[in-house]
Amino acid sequence: MDFDMIARYAPLLLQGLWATIYITALASVIAIGLGLAVSLLNATPFRAMRWLCRIYIEAMRGTPILIILFIIYYGGPSIGFTFDAEPTGIIGLGIYGGGYFAEIFRAGFQSIPEGHIEAAQMLGIPKSRIITRIKIPQMLTLIIPPVTNQVILLLKESAVLSIITVAELTKNTTGMVAETFAVVEPYVIVALLYWAVVESISFLGRYLERKISYA
Amino acid sequence: MPDRNVNINEDVVAEPDVVIKTEGLQKNFGELRVLNEIDLEIRKSEVVCIIGPSGSGKSTLLRCIAFLEEYSEGRVFIEGKLLGYKVVHGTLVRESQSNINKVRRNVGMVFQQFNLWPHMTVLRNVTDALRVVKKMDRREAERIGLETLRKVGMEDKARYYPAQISGGQQQRAAIARALAMKPNVMLVDEPTSALDPELVGEVLQVIQDLASEGMTMAIVSHEMGFAANVADRVLFLDEGRIVEHGDPAQIFKNPQSQRLIQFLDTWKSREL
Repeated sequence: MDFDMIARYAPLLLQGLWATIYITALASVIAIGLGLAVSLLNATPFRAMRWLCRIYIEAMRGTPILIILFIIYYGGPSIGFTFDAEPTGIIGLGIYGGGYFAEIFRAGFQSIPEGHIEAAQMLGIPKSRIITRIKIPQMLTLIIPPVTNQVILLLKESAVLSIITVAELTKNTTGMVAETFAVVEPYVIVALLYWAVVESISFLGRYLERKISYA
Repeated sequence: MPDRNVNINEDVVAEPDVVIKTEGLQKNFGELRVLNEIDLEIRKSEVVCIIGPSGSGKSTLLRCIAFLEEYSEGRVFIEGKLLGYKVVHGTLVRESQSNINKVRRNVGMVFQQFNLWPHMTVLRNVTDALRVVKKMDRREAERIGLETLRKVGMEDKARYYPAQISGGQQQRAAIARALAMKPNVMLVDEPTSALDPELVGEVLQVIQDLASEGMTMAIVSHEMGFAANVADRVLFLDEGRIVEHGDPAQIFKNPQSQRLIQFLDTWKSREL
C-alpha cells in the first residue's frame, strides 16, 4: 500500500464521498416522496390513475438505472430539458428509486389490519385523516427495514452516475486510477468508504426501528 | 345495493324510541346468503344479545348495522334515519361518505380484535376522534379521555401503548375509545373471544356496568351466562335467519326450536 499516494488523493476521494452521500440523500428524498405519492394514488378508485401508477412502477423496476440516466441526459435536450450531469443523476436515481419505494409502501399499507381502519371509520374520522393519522404512521413503522435496504441499494447504484461524468466517489476513484496507474489502493479504499456509509445507514435504520417500536 | 326500485318516498321513519331498526335485511356474499330477512328493532336502553353457532351471520348482522358491510336488500335505520343510502325520486342512492360518518358518530363499535391503534398511547387512542371529529382542543379532549378511561378502570394506563397492556385492558381501552364519543348505541362484536379466560370477567363487567347505566347495546357473544344476565332480549341466529327471539329466561330455560335446543345442549356439554 502506498500511503503517500492515498494521502495525496484523500481530498479528491473525500470530495467524491461527500458527493455520493448528498446525491444519495437527495435522490432518496425524491424517491420516497414519489413512492409515497404513487402508492397513495395507486389505492384510489380511479382505474386510469392506477394504470398510470402501475406503468411507472413496472417501467422503473424493468429498466437499468444507466438507461434511465441516458434517456434523461442525452434524450432530455431533444424535448427541451437540459440538465447538468449531477442534477440528472439525482433526478434519475430519484425516479428510479420511486418505483421501488412505491412497492414497499404498498406492502406496508396492506399489512395494516383492516380492523384498525374500521375502528376509525366507526368513530367518524374522515378518510383523509385516516390516511394521515393512522395509515401512514403505522405503515412507516412497518417499512423501516425495507426502506433502509432500498436506500443502501440506491447508494450503491449511485456509482453508475460516474458514467455520465458526475464527480462522485466512483468517478473520482477512476480518475485517481487513471492518473496513478495504481489499482489496489484506490479500489480498496473506495470499497471501504462505501462500506462505511452502508454501515452508517443500517445503523441509522436499526436506531429508528428501536425508537419507533411501540412496546 | 338494495333493490333500487322499491317505491318508498322517505328515508326517515318517525319512531323516537327505536334506535336501530332493520327491515328485511339481507346480505349476500356472492352466491352465499349470509343474512336473510332480518327484521329487528332495538329500543332505547335495551340490551339485545345475539347468539348462534359460528357462521350463523351474527357478526355480519352487526357489521351491516354499522355499514361496514353494504347490505344487499332491505333497510337499516339508525335513530330513524336510513343508513348508507338516501331516497332520491323514490329510488335508493348511495349516501355520501361524510353523511355516513355523521350517522356513525352516534354508533359506537367494539371489535373482537380490539383494533386499538398501536402507534398511539391509550389516551391518544381515546382522544384522537374527539380532536379530529369533534374538533376539541387538546386539554378538553384529554379531560374527557381520562374521565372515560376512569370509567373502565384504565386511567392509570393512559400513557401506555397498546402492546404494553393485557388483552383485557386493551379491550377496556377500546370500549373507552367508543364511549368517549358519547354514542347513543353500542355495537359489541364478540368482545371476549380473543381473550385469555382469566381476562374475560373484567371486560364483561365493564359492559354490564354500561347496560345498567341504560346504554343501548347490541352484543354478539359466546358467553351464554353473560347473555342471560345482561340481556333484555336474546336473538338466536342460525343460517342467517332469526330462528327464535325472546327474553333470556324464555330462550335459555324454555327453547322452542329444535335448532336452539341443540345449540344450547352443545354449549352446556362444553361448559362441563
